[in-house]
Amino acid sequence: MKAIYKVTDIVLLGLHNLTIHKVRSALTALGILFGVWSVIAMLAINEGARYEAEQSLRQMGTDKLLIQSVKPPQDAAAAARERGALHYGLTLADSRRLSDNLPGISRYVVAHETRKSVQYASRLIQARIFGTYPSYLQLRGLRMYAGRFLTSSDQLRGRNVCVMNKSLARQLFLYEDPLGRTIRIGGECFIVVGLVERPAGLAPEAQTEMVTSLIYIPAGADHARFGQYTIIRTGSSRTMERVEVSQIIFQMADEPAVLAGAKVAETLLTSYHDRRDYDVVVPLELIEQRRKQRRLWNIMFFVIASISLVVGGIGIMNIMLASVTERTREIGIRRALGAKRRDITVQFLVEAVTLTTIGGLTGIAVGYAVPHIVERTLNIKAVLSPPMLAIPFLMAIAVGLVSGLYPAMRAAGLDPIQALRHE
Amino acid sequence: MKELVRLENIRKTYLMGRSSVRALDGISFVIHEGDYVAIMGSSGSGKSTLLNLLGCLDRPTSGRYLLGGRDVSQLDDGQLSEIRGRHIGFVFQSFNLIPQLKVVANIEVPLVYQGMPRRQRSPRSRKLATMVGLGDRMDHRPQELSGGEQQRVALARALANEPLLLLADEPTGNLDSRTSQDILNLVDELSDRGRSIIMVTHESDIADRAHRIIHLMDGRIDSDEVARGVERRR
Repeated sequence: MKAIYKVTDIVLLGLHNLTIHKVRSALTALGILFGVWSVIAMLAINEGARYEAEQSLRQMGTDKLLIQSVKPPQDAAAAARERGALHYGLTLADSRRLSDNLPGISRYVVAHETRKSVQYASRLIQARIFGTYPSYLQLRGLRMYAGRFLTSSDQLRGRNVCVMNKSLARQLFLYEDPLGRTIRIGGECFIVVGLVERPAGLAPEAQTEMVTSLIYIPAGADHARFGQYTIIRTGSSRTMERVEVSQIIFQMADEPAVLAGAKVAETLLTSYHDRRDYDVVVPLELIEQRRKQRRLWNIMFFVIASISLVVGGIGIMNIMLASVTERTREIGIRRALGAKRRDITVQFLVEAVTLTTIGGLTGIAVGYAVPHIVERTLNIKAVLSPPMLAIPFLMAIAVGLVSGLYPAMRAAGLDPIQALRHE
Repeated sequence: MKELVRLENIRKTYLMGRSSVRALDGISFVIHEGDYVAIMGSSGSGKSTLLNLLGCLDRPTSGRYLLGGRDVSQLDDGQLSEIRGRHIGFVFQSFNLIPQLKVVANIEVPLVYQGMPRRQRSPRSRKLATMVGLGDRMDHRPQELSGGEQQRVALARALANEPLLLLADEPTGNLDSRTSQDILNLVDELSDRGRSIIMVTHESDIADRAHRIIHLMDGRIDSDEVARGVERRR
């Protein structure tokens, strides 16, 4: 019981001493405040970035499997050129084989890509033209911005309609409303019926698509107007390429089915292709890769932010050492009046820990505002969770203990007779 | 009368670089309860060292020190702190009050380390403050008090833990003669009430107020005599 009274009194004493040098205490606590705040901010920004990256990949879909045609290495291409058109990539036969054999497919869509110049009024822009089907919108994770996407009746009736991405529309039409206007794609007339956009904050792969010009037309129209041949002009020479299918997107039942399907697709395609002219993309694996990269960043950010806490701790140690020197005589008096070494240690430790606790609490309070401030000023998403507030706070207290211990021990170790004589 | 302090052949040696300095060289005496002893001697005679030993701030190099029948000469730092807190009251030449604490809080300091709860401490410190004549200054801080008043606070603080032994180290050294008289009268009063007091001084007229005067010279007892004032006062 006596021990409890004594400890509470010593704790009160430590608190009392802090109120004597208010400005000094406040400035010291401020160091910890910034330390805690920066750790919280780092954690929150990092968490926000992680959240966004995963969100964008999720938009594409972790339950999706993407197989693309890829131009094979150059020597094979050179050999093919002698025979006229370069024929490579996936075929419709591939898509049938895959859809028949992959386990757990719920649906799929194919797209054929060519590059053509798009013209409206006097403006001419190179664009990627995708001949595809209505389900492409959902399977590729696109979002309608205006108008409508391709429909099955467009397909059936072979209508010359097109949907383009927002950035192309902005370049092509400037401030005109693109809907209902007629544009020329590779010389053929198409009516713009809709605009699509990518959801904000996308994966890099998708973001590059964002800046390029994209047009979606019905597969039937594509086949009828343009065929499968693309003529590529490089300087004076021209080469012809023939690709039947550029992309196949499979929607799988669940995430394990994606991973299993990727393996099956790989083996199946290997047996029908003598060259590596395709690529199997698993968004799920991309997410995993990102996570690993992010973990590294996480650690680095955390370490950098922690340094500011350590700097705050050094500030506290400094102040405490000054305080011990300043109060040497008081320590001597207390020792003469019956204070044990432990009592002195506790008194100074309490002061140090109180400083960091105050700094930590205000740091948390300010930390609450982090997502708000960061999103307003830097336009970066930040996400807070309770552990992100608790971890820096506990770190601050630990810093107080560590940085207070040496000065406290030094105070306790003073010889009472010497301390009493100290001026 | 009961034995309070017994010193047996106390020696204290300090190491000053290579050479060792013998501050106390075989001191033995006995002090009884209720005694009022003055220790005199020129500077360097060892009186401060002796007072530190008596106050359990230091340990002898050799010899035995019995305080209230208990051998305290070989106790460790924590145990000595305990003894100081419980059985010793200190009054210093330079008052040694804690500047940021009010009068009552200063008086309570020894009690804090005894683990006495606040509600018990407070009435005691107020009573002591009144006793030394500072009933109207209880909530002042030391720098708002005169030297004499500060030394009164120190006296009250020294009495707070009901010590076996009151040790005063030149308590009037920093005071003018009038306030010195006030403080010494207060000490006399305490002695009359049966308090055991050891006071270090180098002024013989102050020492004469004690019952007994011990003269030190070069770490040895030069003389140990009954003070002249005893007869006069009784």
